[in-house]
Amino acid sequence: MIFCSLSFSAWANETGTETIASYIEYSAVLETQWAYGVTKKSNQKLQFIYEPEINVELPNNHKLTVIGRLRGDIYDKLEPGSPSQAEISPMSRRGLIGNHTDMALREFYYEATVGETYLTLGKQQIVWGQADGLKLLDVVNPQDFREFILDDFSRSRIPLWTVNTEIPINDAMLQLIWMPDQTYHALPESNSLYAFHSPLLVPNVPPGVNVNLQPIDKPNNFFADADYGARLSQFVGGWDVTLNYLYHYNDNPVLFRHLTSGSEPAVTITPRYERSHLIGGTFSNALGDFVLRGEVGYSTDRYFMVKGIDDRNGVNKSDEFAYVFGLDWSGMTDTFFSAQLFQSNLINHHPELVRDKVDTTLTFLARRNFINDTLVAEVLLIHSTNNSDGLIRPKVSYEWHDNIKVWMGMDIFYGNQTGLFGQFAKNDRLVVGVIWGM
Amino acid sequence: MKLKQNLFNQFFVISVSAFILTNTALAETILPSGLEIAQQVNARNEGASVSRNLIMEMVDRRGKKRVRETRGFRKYYGEEKRTMIFYLQPKNVRKTAFLTYDYPQADDDQWLYLPAMRKVRRISSSDRGDYFLGTDFTYEDIKKESKVGIEDYHWKTVGEEAIDGHHSYVVEATPINDDVAQELGYSTVIYHVDSDIWMVRQSDHWDIRDNALKTINFRDIRLVQDIWSAHILEVNNHKTGHHTRFLFSDIDYSTEVTDGIFTQQSLRRGL
Repeated sequence: MIFCSLSFSAWANETGTETIASYIEYSAVLETQWAYGVTKKSNQKLQFIYEPEINVELPNNHKLTVIGRLRGDIYDKLEPGSPSQAEISPMSRRGLIGNHTDMALREFYYEATVGETYLTLGKQQIVWGQADGLKLLDVVNPQDFREFILDDFSRSRIPLWTVNTEIPINDAMLQLIWMPDQTYHALPESNSLYAFHSPLLVPNVPPGVNVNLQPIDKPNNFFADADYGARLSQFVGGWDVTLNYLYHYNDNPVLFRHLTSGSEPAVTITPRYERSHLIGGTFSNALGDFVLRGEVGYSTDRYFMVKGIDDRNGVNKSDEFAYVFGLDWSGMTDTFFSAQLFQSNLINHHPELVRDKVDTTLTFLARRNFINDTLVAEVLLIHSTNNSDGLIRPKVSYEWHDNIKVWMGMDIFYGNQTGLFGQFAKNDRLVVGVIWGM
Repeated sequence: MKLKQNLFNQFFVISVSAFILTNTALAETILPSGLEIAQQVNARNEGASVSRNLIMEMVDRRGKKRVRETRGFRKYYGEEKRTMIFYLQPKNVRKTAFLTYDYPQADDDQWLYLPAMRKVRRISSSDRGDYFLGTDFTYEDIKKESKVGIEDYHWKTVGEEAIDGHHSYVVEATPINDDVAQELGYSTVIYHVDSDIWMVRQSDHWDIRDNALKTINFRDIRLVQDIWSAHILEVNNHKTGHHTRFLFSDIDYSTEVTDGIFTQQSLRRGL
């Protein structure tokens, strides 16, 4: 930011105040969303969002971007009261205004070219990967799960303070990232509407046993606990390919469990973040009417919960090999179909693990545009074959005016309550939204 | 409405057919061949590179108008052409960007950056008959600009006439096979090519069922840095009543466009 300040003040001295205004651009998004739970017959949210964005053009093609967000929700069911934000670093936390409103500096970054290197410094989102709706390599930034996975990824993705450099090497591009921001997934608290209760995510505790939940053991060393990574990307022979590496704390805390026997048995749960190496790659190419795309990733030192309570610490460590293959088809005018296969394999699978050795998820998306793209109808299906549960999301959106879009959709969960999606089977909802760009 | 459309179709087809019939004999004897004219169109200097502003106006049959402000860049690398379009306004499409590598002998490579996803998506280049982001131009129309797809059509000169007061050759282009016709979405295109400057001034398009589909007019053609440039492109879709107007400004052929513009990094970063 020092770099930014120096550049800005030098530029301001050379340029008159009136001229400066012509280099500053303001825009904003106003959005309201109403969600009604059709199973419980109750409102889930009536949310208002104001997202201002300021772009400043500086000399030598340097740029400064500031994006904020003010959000209010009349019903306060997604994050009742004042969430602790324990997973978020102090420098990235939202400001809470009562129980119904919060404000956040979403993004704040400075872009500059130094020689051949392109620098993006500040709070930002970095998106890796080729998959839609499923995250394999797109794990650079953590996610806010206040609405499970129902919110837009760009909105639920939590921006991090990051040093992001892109260096051209012949025809390839090397991206190096360093993130000293110790912020992890924002998980819903137990009294919230989308609190996790699937045994795939929450430890099994027998009835009558007291639970002692310890505070999260969170990394706190600015340098030693920073995440860092690299991506080499190239367009070669018609293929877009990348090689990715990320050394990071997995954004889900490992729930270490300790059982105390005696007259009053108790389970102590200690959430702690653990390091992992992720190495992988992506590819995509257009072949006739089809686009083939995919991601492959290998993660070391992942931790997975075990079923029984006799286990020493309630978790088992294993490496994980995962991949996504996607196929898009757009052979018919204004129509788009997409299918994806996502599989995760545990290298060191233990029979007592709550999850299977191979976990498979399928997605299907069908979309059709009407009336010169002003009306778009789509349906997305996400299906877990292991648990036979999933999510169906039909949606219709209409561009009413240049800057006003209205939309309506449903989020329909199905399957057993023990499943990742089935746990929210009673949260089916109708959602209506209006978005106004200014 | 349907009757009106049918009558329009018939009038459109009869008018052009009559014109073609009366001029065919003449065309075969003294006019340059359709292929020669198409080659002349494509040989016209477009500049090694260009940057320009483009306002897209889209108006539906009820008169409701949508406006998009963009900035575009194009550069030739030998026979390969690279094109980038950045959307600047309105807010809901701002930062959308479209990149094409157009090869003479192979399928194009195309990418679209959608800011809502913050992701560069690969697009199938065989979608070239699809309409480009809500306009009445297809992806192929956008790619070709004022040039024509010589390899996609059989070419035949069918006459000559005046368009906007300028003497023009009338050339009939029919797709080389059904697959190409399906891809492009056209069964026939009639080009009206200015015989002095070898620019298309008007093109009439029929869909694959031989219904009158749309007419494209290239207007306000002026010399910019010694290169003939159309400043207004207008499409009237006869089937839907929708029309699109492209208004070009600040056309600049002389300032060098850097190679870095035509990259996926540039798609993501925007202008």
